Formats: sequence, structure tokens, C-alpha cells
Amino acid sequence: MTDTEAGKGWLGRKLKRKEDYRLTTGKGNFIGDIQLPGMLHLVFVRSLHAHAKIVNIDTSAAEELKGVVAVIAGKQLAEEILLMPQPIVVPNIPANHPTFGPLAIGKVKFHGEPVAAIVARDKYVAEDAAELVMVDYEMLPYVGDMEAALAPDATRVHEQFDDNIQYESSLTGGEEIADQEANDVRVAKIFEEADLVVKRRYRCHRCGVTPMEPRGVVADWDHAEGLSAWITTQRPHIDRLALSDILSIPAEQVRVMAPRDQGGAFGTKAPFYREPILICHMARKLGRPVRWIESREEHLMSISQERDQIHDLEIAARSDGRILALRDRIIADGGDGCEGVYWGYLMPFLGAVLLPSGYDIPNCDIKLKVAFTNKAVLSPARSFGSYPARFAMERAMHTVARELGLEPTAVQRMNLVTEFPYTTATGFNYDSGNFIKVLDNLVEKIDLTGFRREQEEARKQGRYLGIGFGLGAEASGMASEVLVQMENQPGYGAAMVRVDPRGKVQVCDGDCSQGQGHETTVAQVVAHEMGISPDDVKHSQGDTDNTPFGCGTIGARAGSYKLSAVAQACRHIKEKMSRIAAHDFSVSAKPEDFDFIDGEIIYRKDTNIRTTFAELAYRIVMTPLDLPEGEEAGLEHTAYFEAAMPMICFAAHAAIVEVDATTGQFEIKRYMTSEDMGRVINPQIVDGQITGGVVQGISNCIFEEFVYDDTGQQLTSTLENYKLATAADVPHVEVTHAPTPCPYTPLGSRGIGEGVPGPVPGALSNAVTDALEPLGVEITELPLRPNVIWKLIQQNRQAAE
Amino acid sequence: MYKDVTITINGEEYQEHIPVRLLLVDFIRDVAGLTGTHVGCTYEGVCGACTIQIDSEAVKSCLMLAVQADGHEVATVEGLAQDGKLHPLQEEFNEHHALQCGYCTPGILMNAEEFLKENPDPSEDEIREALIGNLCRCTGYVNIVTAIKSAAEKMA
Amino acid sequence: MYPSVIDNYVRPKSVDEAIAAIVDGGEDAMFIAGGMSLMQAIKSRLVSPSCLVDLQDVSEIKGISSDDTGLRIGAMTRYREMANADKLRGAYGALVDAAAHVGDRQVRNRGTIGGSLCWNYIAACTPAACLGIGASVELVSRTGAKRTLVADDFLGSPLETAREDNEILVAVTLPTPEPNTGSAYKKWGLVADALPVVGVAVLVQTDAAGICLRARVAFSGLGDGPCRSAAAEQVLIGARADETSKIGEAFEAAAAELEVQADMWADEDYRRLLMRELGKEVTATAFNRAETGS
Repeated sequence: MTDTEAGKGWLGRKLKRKEDYRLTTGKGNFIGDIQLPGMLHLVFVRSLHAHAKIVNIDTSAAEELKGVVAVIAGKQLAEEILLMPQPIVVPNIPANHPTFGPLAIGKVKFHGEPVAAIVARDKYVAEDAAELVMVDYEMLPYVGDMEAALAPDATRVHEQFDDNIQYESSLTGGEEIADQEANDVRVAKIFEEADLVVKRRYRCHRCGVTPMEPRGVVADWDHAEGLSAWITTQRPHIDRLALSDILSIPAEQVRVMAPRDQGGAFGTKAPFYREPILICHMARKLGRPVRWIESREEHLMSISQERDQIHDLEIAARSDGRILALRDRIIADGGDGCEGVYWGYLMPFLGAVLLPSGYDIPNCDIKLKVAFTNKAVLSPARSFGSYPARFAMERAMHTVARELGLEPTAVQRMNLVTEFPYTTATGFNYDSGNFIKVLDNLVEKIDLTGFRREQEEARKQGRYLGIGFGLGAEASGMASEVLVQMENQPGYGAAMVRVDPRGKVQVCDGDCSQGQGHETTVAQVVAHEMGISPDDVKHSQGDTDNTPFGCGTIGARAGSYKLSAVAQACRHIKEKMSRIAAHDFSVSAKPEDFDFIDGEIIYRKDTNIRTTFAELAYRIVMTPLDLPEGEEAGLEHTAYFEAAMPMICFAAHAAIVEVDATTGQFEIKRYMTSEDMGRVINPQIVDGQITGGVVQGISNCIFEEFVYDDTGQQLTSTLENYKLATAADVPHVEVTHAPTPCPYTPLGSRGIGEGVPGPVPGALSNAVTDALEPLGVEITELPLRPNVIWKLIQQNRQAAE
Repeated sequence: MYKDVTITINGEEYQEHIPVRLLLVDFIRDVAGLTGTHVGCTYEGVCGACTIQIDSEAVKSCLMLAVQADGHEVATVEGLAQDGKLHPLQEEFNEHHALQCGYCTPGILMNAEEFLKENPDPSEDEIREALIGNLCRCTGYVNIVTAIKSAAEKMA
Repeated sequence: MYPSVIDNYVRPKSVDEAIAAIVDGGEDAMFIAGGMSLMQAIKSRLVSPSCLVDLQDVSEIKGISSDDTGLRIGAMTRYREMANADKLRGAYGALVDAAAHVGDRQVRNRGTIGGSLCWNYIAACTPAACLGIGASVELVSRTGAKRTLVADDFLGSPLETAREDNEILVAVTLPTPEPNTGSAYKKWGLVADALPVVGVAVLVQTDAAGICLRARVAFSGLGDGPCRSAAAEQVLIGARADETSKIGEAFEAAAAELEVQADMWADEDYRRLLMRELGKEVTATAFNRAETGS
């Protein structure tokens, strides 16, 4: 169906967000705002040690405290409910998925693991009672180093397995071992014959995304209706199935609702965690509503930790800069691995798959091992697994260029994928795009040539300016083809669109927003398709009782999958409205002969033949008389969009820094991105995703780090120690665009947002390396901190002397 | 253990009998039922989502006991719009897409409102300095800075 | 996350009432000033006071005043007032510098100089700045007895001071500045205005020719809490602002003299570097203020 001029107006427009009025006036509805009559408060008693046998738990003093309703510990709980893993939240990937319950059984495996829980009438009293629970521990050796953990004689984190290897596989060379070995030999030969081989160990630290609102659950039990649970979540439909299975409640008696507003997620609210299981169980057991609101300390101790990877990465290159082969041995510290859907290893797995990024490198040998350790499990964080991979790859590309005396962007450009569709050596598909256009746009807008002149002048004055580039080909959602294997769930986009008798449109969406502005973008798509005002569109989301199955607000899929489903459903309804209009006006018209503009439906061949959207809606829904033969009453449709080709979005980032060589302190003088996000629905929302993702990437790169001491004590469980960038710590991020519409979505849109932080560590660390090139400093480890840079400068100076 | 307090919130007087240990943020949220003020950290008072004003000065309501506010005037985000008309900051936050999830927004608005009274024509750097006590995880701060600058211009 | 039970809360109107209240409150009673540090400790249950004596209504210990003998900063004077106090500029500019960058503006709207000194947190700015400018504190106890201690004697190890349980810190006093005196403070932390990894306060008094006659150098962020470096002060005396290598030597001496610890933010070497580099910068500012008076 052709676009009308007026209809086009709603796409690509900076429409002000519908969400903002309530959020700026204090009328949001977050998990912590939900109050039920008689609601009880649950707090966890968490482990003080990283690895210890639980000898005894004495809950008697806690139980006696006035106001305490229940106290529960792991052993008792294990008799009341099933344990993880439950198949619904286990990927179809060969790996070790440990057995665990919401509360530790027998031993604790990380500092902060839940050991017992208190349910009390008052949250202050619940905390008083938690202090009274006495746990006797017998210390066990702490397994904290991922490489040591992989040794065959290492202390085991999980006795049920023979070693601490959770996942081990080759991502290249095919499924069969023999094929993989043949691939390795072939790659090795290329390395032997290459003009240049660059080999480095790149280390990315443990850090994450840490939304401003921690997690929470409010659960209620009704004898007839079963369980109603509000959960901070990115995928209520999967939570529903998993809760049904593990609590042995028939699925039709489980209703999961994402609160209308959620205070950010960025991946952290995507897993099926242990805590909601217990809250829901206690609500059922006590027959009273139970609430748990995660403290920041709990959050920083148990989730939001990602990126912990070591890459021994090698690149074979020709003297002109063409990359011939890539080899990487990746190790990841997956923590205790106890987490539904992701299990700690899924992030490094996908990171390894995405390692080649936008480069055309057919010859790759990439292997990954994920270790169990006595740390919190890795949980998803925007740039899921790929942040460390991008760091390693982009640092290596820069190094290849400099070893050959070339401009890094020239080497990056020469190796970019140019023909689509393209399949990487790791089997990931890229639908379309123009990567070179994206990079060229950035090189021009940041004025690389001008900068090099400025840099040369600055060096003469003893100032260290540098520029660095980081690129990334990021998934715009994932199709069922990938997600069924990776997460044991579908990947389609789904939307139910319903036109009411007054001509207003309701969209029921099984996903849920955590700040992405879906109410607004969904309304824009409906307005565009139906020729009505976005004000006449209502978006209902996140309630499993009245939405189609939603695959989750994960991995930048809304722009590509959900909005495509919305557009498809609208088109289906428009065709029906057109058929009935043609019938009513007694014209022999095809559906595309009607334009939907400004609330009217107009016959293109005779514009006097017209009706309003609202009148026709009323006529179809409320007066279903004299309908065309075979036509049903009603105006609603549920559409599922499945991708013909997995969509990606490509981005290039550039950072300009000035380093003070005396202290290693540096200033980011400029940060610019160039983006291909396909056809944009709302530019302000897209740019907001980018500026936010970049600053998260910067904050991860420089300020944030989860630190465990030698005994596994986590030292960074407050925002005083786990440092997030403030407004005064980061630059004004400049966003530029170089779009190529996606041919595989009905609107040409591509989802964007998830992968935004990915290119940041490459851009920043390349910039610092470039600045300090005269001093011979090369960054190979994160975080990128002044004290580390200073130390490298000292070491190089000493080596030079 | 308990004290009688009189706390005025957005011009409305609350006379309550409360535990001494009750945090001011919980008084505002649980007793007065004004849930626009949020909590984002445990005890450290770093995130700023709970920022309100006491006697027209921005403070973090998680770092105060409710009894300390006895006899004082509290202003929360719910009182920012007057007579149904949004404050310029609220309008400009919408105009410039200065919020995504909106969890940090009320605290930022209440801090910025006082800041603009103190400095009606701030530079970008001054705005960024003024925001140190308010963490935002979604926006990268870019549009927040723009919106505050724009509100300052509108209010001039 | 939530405080333990607190039995009582009182809000005296005068110093006498405050002292009476703290005595009546018993062993676990505590004063609360702005509460910006104390509330963290109460919420994390590091401390569990049975009674809080809130000093917010004790107006006699608020504000900055001056007379023939010098300046008097009431204990309940907030950072925001110190950050904007013209009276402190120049000779006591270090206190302005410190106050202007404590925490964030919400914290500065409530936090007080008295509270900060009595808490004496390991990495706090105000105690080091007070040490650097040679401040004294006035303490009053039940008997009506008043005693004055120099900051050096008042500040102990981190979280310790010479204040007795029943004493109230009423004011910080500073002598009328000698001519040609200037001071400055600067800190470095990983993020803006965070608790310092290292902070340096320097006061210099020069003769008419700009030669340093008297110097005080103090640090924050070191393991032993706020401390002075006699060695650095010794080297600075006789130096001029343009003698950068000599000024550098002063802070080399400080770095060699003082105990420096490693933690997750910086190792010993980097802390020593910060002491030197911040020291040089702060000394330059102090000299400049000594010369210009502002």
C-alpha cells in the first residue's frame, strides 16, 4: 500500500513523548508505587562470604520479633517448590546449567547470595529481623580467578559438575569437531604466511549497566484466579511460563504484569531471576500480598555484572592493511552461573559470535571457554557480550594499522563488509546497510584531516591529543531462527491492534517499555498507517492476560520487530475497512484505492467519495449489517512479524582526547557517532538511545568496576564505590546519521539501542593510544583509568631509558 | 520511638504520629502517598532520585529522617505544576526529550528548579556541575542539559 | 537501608539545651547536624543511636561573623554558605574551595562544617582544609566550660576526634589573617566532586617581596586521615611562587614523609604523584591569593 503524504508526516517526526506528562509530574507508576491492602514486605538475608558451607541457620530470634510473619531458608524452601533449571528458561546450547533454588542450599557460592528471607508487616521491621538471623559458615576456598578456575584440579564451584568449565566450544569451522580442526589448520596456515601478525591479550573488566530503578516484585494470590505478579521485567510472558513451571501452578492461573513504568533495564531485567520465584511462592503460601523491592546494595552485589572477558586475539594482515585471518581464544568469568535464560555464559557466547563485527574476515578461528567462579553470575548488559569483543577487535585493528604505518580508519574501511546479505565466519547474518557510508560520514564530520594537523601542532608544544575510532555491527533484534536456539523462545514481533467503535486505536503489546518510549513510537506508526492522530492511539503493554505472546523488550528489537508487527496489523485492518468502504459506496475498488488521511478514508479515483475513520469504525463494529459476503464483524487483528533476514544496525564512533602525560588524566574533548538506524520513526528517541548508550559505554570504560578482594568480598556494592559517570564527567555527545533503510521491514526501520555502548571502549582506548603514541603507550586493559595510563607512561619511559 | 510531626508538603499540612526512624522519603511516599519522589540507592545518598526541597532548598529526602522536617515546608515534584500549568522545566524536559525511563527525573526537576533561582543564566558547564548529585542512566545527560538551559531562557 | 529503632528525638533551641539533651539521652545519644554523613552511617546500621539531638534550631551556632580577633564560623554553618562567603576568600580560600566541591549541591545545602569535623571521615575535605588553614575549634560542655583546640589537636584518626561525648562543637575560629596570606585546596577523585583519592590544602604567608614566611600543608585521602606535612612546610618557607622546582621538592618531601596507602582507586605511587601535582597547583593558587588578597 502506498504512503500518503499526510500519513508520511508521522514517521521521522520529533513527536513529543506521550509518557512524559506523567513522568515529569510525579504520576508515574513504578513497581515501588504499587500498594495492595495488607501487603507484606520481604527482605533477604544474603551471604557474607563468597564460598562457604552453611553449617546452621538459626532463625528463632527473627521469628519471635513482633511484626514478623514468616522466615524461610533454603532447605525448607527446596521441599516446597521445584528447583532450577526449568526447561523453559534453558537455551538449546550444550552447556552446564547448575541446579539452584531461590535460597542457597548447603553452601553459598558468592558474596551476596540469598540465604534466608524474612516476611514482615513493615519493611523496617523486616530489616530488623534479617539482622537477627544467625548463619554459621564453614569457609571453603574461594574460586576467583577465571583462568585458575579452569584448571582440572581447581576447587569446584558446583559439585554436580566435574570441573568449572560451564561452556566450551568453537564458534567457527562448523558443528563437527573434525571440520573445526580442519578450519583451525587452514587459519593457522594463513597466519604462517601473513605479512604481519598482531597478537595481544585484551582484558575487559567486570562492569554493567545498573539502571536507576533496582528490581522489584509484588505478588498476590487468589484462591480462584491464582497468582498475579507485578515484576520489573523485560519479558513478562517468559516469566509467566517459568513461574508456572517452577511453582507448579497451571499457566492459566499465572498473570504477570510489567509495571506501566520501569526505571531503566538495559538488559538487567531480562533474565528469569531467583528472587521473583520466592516472592510469588510466599504470596501463595501465606495467601497475602508480598512485596520485595531490591536495595541498590543487593542489586550491585547480585546482578548487573557483565563484560568480564579475556581475549588472546591475533590478526593476520597483508602489508596493505587487508585482514586475512582472525584468531581468538576467549575466556569469560561467568560467576556462579545461576540465572534463568542467560546462565552467565550466554553473553560471552553472543559476544564471540559478534566478534568479527562489520569486517569481512572469512577466515576465523574463535574459541570460547566460560568458567564458573565464586562471583555473581554475569547478567545481561546492553552491548550484551560484545562490549569486550569490540574493545579487543577495535584495539587490534588500530594496532595493525599503526604497525603498518597506516591511518587506522583506512584499515577499518578497507576491511568493511560491502556486499549484503553477508554471513560472518561465526554464522551471523547481516541483512543490509552501507558500512563505508557510515564511516566516511564520521571521518568527514569529525574532520580527521584537520585533526591530524592540530595534533601535529599540539605535539610540538608537548601536548598529547589523540583520536580513536570504534565500529560495531549490532543486532537489531533477533529472529526466531536465532532465539529458539539461544534463548529457547521465539523472536517474532507481535501486536494486537484493535479499532474501537469511536475510531480510537488500542495496541496490545506483550513486551514492555523501560524508558524506550514505545507508547510514542507505536502511536506514530499507527498514526502513519491509519491516517489518524497519535493522540487517538492507546498503547497497553506488559500484561500477560491481555496481550499476545511477547518475545521481550530485548536486543533492540522494537524498531525492527514490534513496530513491524504493528504496521502489519494496521495494514490488515485497513484492507478490511477499505473492502467494506468499497462495498458501502458501491464502487469497484481495490483496498489500495483508498487513502487514509487526517482521520478520513478517501476514494482516490473520486475524492468526493469519502467517510471518516471514526464513522467507518462505528459502522463496522456497531452496525454489522449488510457486510460484504464472507466479511466478519469487528476490527481487530493480531500480527506476527518474523524477519526474512536478521536485521542489523551499524555505527561508527570517534573520540578526541587530550592526555596529561604527567598524571595520566585525560579529557574527552569531543565524542561523535555516525549511525545507520534505517528509517527513523522518531529521531529524538533514537538520538536519545545513542547519547545514553554512549555515556553508559564511557562510564563503563572509565569509572565503573566491580571489585572482589582476595577472599571474594565484593567491595563495590554502593554507588559511592561503584562509580557512575555524573553529568560533569562526560562530554556533550554529538550524533550524526548515515541511514540506509532496511528492505526487510515494512517501514524500513531498524531497531537500535542495545548495542550502542559497544564501539565506545575501542574509540576511547584508541584515542588514548593515539595520543600517547610518541610515548609508546598501548592500551590493552580496561578500565581506562588515569592511574593505569600513568603507570604505562612510566613503564615506557623506564624502558626507553 | 514515636513523635508527632507537622510537615507541610506542597502547601498541604500533614499531622502524623510517626516512628523516629522513619526516613523522610518514606514519609513522603508511604504516609503522604506522593510517589513521584523515588529511591535509587541503599544508604549512600548518591543517586539523587529522592531530591525534594525543604524550605525551597534542594535536599535528598533519603538522607533525612521525617522528624527533622517537622515544622518545615516540603516541596515535591507533584507540586511543581501550578494551577494545572506545567513548570517551564517540565515543558522543556518534554520538548527536548530530557527523560527516558523518568525514574531520576523528579529529583532532577526539584534540584534544577532551585538551581535556576540561584543561577538564572547558567552555562553548560555550570548546569553539568549542578547535576552532580543526580545520576541518570538513560539519557547521557545531553538533553537534560539542553532542557535546563532552554527552561532558563524561557523563564528569563 | 533503614535505620534501627531510634527511641527519642529532641530539637533543642540553645547550646545549653543541647548539652542537657545529650546528657539526658544517655550513652547512645548522638548530635545530628546536617546529617549528610551520619545518616549514611545510621541507614547502614554502622551506628544505632538511641536518641538524636538535632541541632538545626540552635541558631547561635549558625553563620560566619568576624571581630577584632578573627573569624568565627558557627558549627551549623552549611557548605553552601562557606562556598559563597566573601569573608573567607584569600587567606582562608582553602575552606571555600573545599566547601564548594563537597558532594553535590543537595549535600552542600545541608551539610555543615561542625558535622564534618566531628565525623572526621577518612577522606573528607573540610577537616584537611581546616588543618591547612590553622583553624581552631571551640567546644562547650555541661559545666559551661569552654575549651579551644587547634585542629591538629582536635582531629584524631579517621572517625575520631578529641570531642568528649557530652561536648558540643560550637564554632570554628580563625585568627584575623596576617597580610599577604593566601590558601587553597584541591582534590582529585575518579568522578567529579567525589570523596578525594587525595586532597591538598596549602596556606602561605609571604613578605612584601612574595617570599614565603609561613606555610601550612595538609592532606586528605591518606590512610591516617587528615594530616599535615612538616617537611613540606619547611621546604616552602623561603620559597617564591615562581620557584616551581622548590615547590615540587616540598611535595616530594611530603610524599616521602607521610604514610601513603594503596586501595582500589590508586596505588601508593599514584597517590604520591597526586600529592605532588595537586600540591604544586594548590601552592600556586595560594601564592596568588596571598598576593592579590582574593
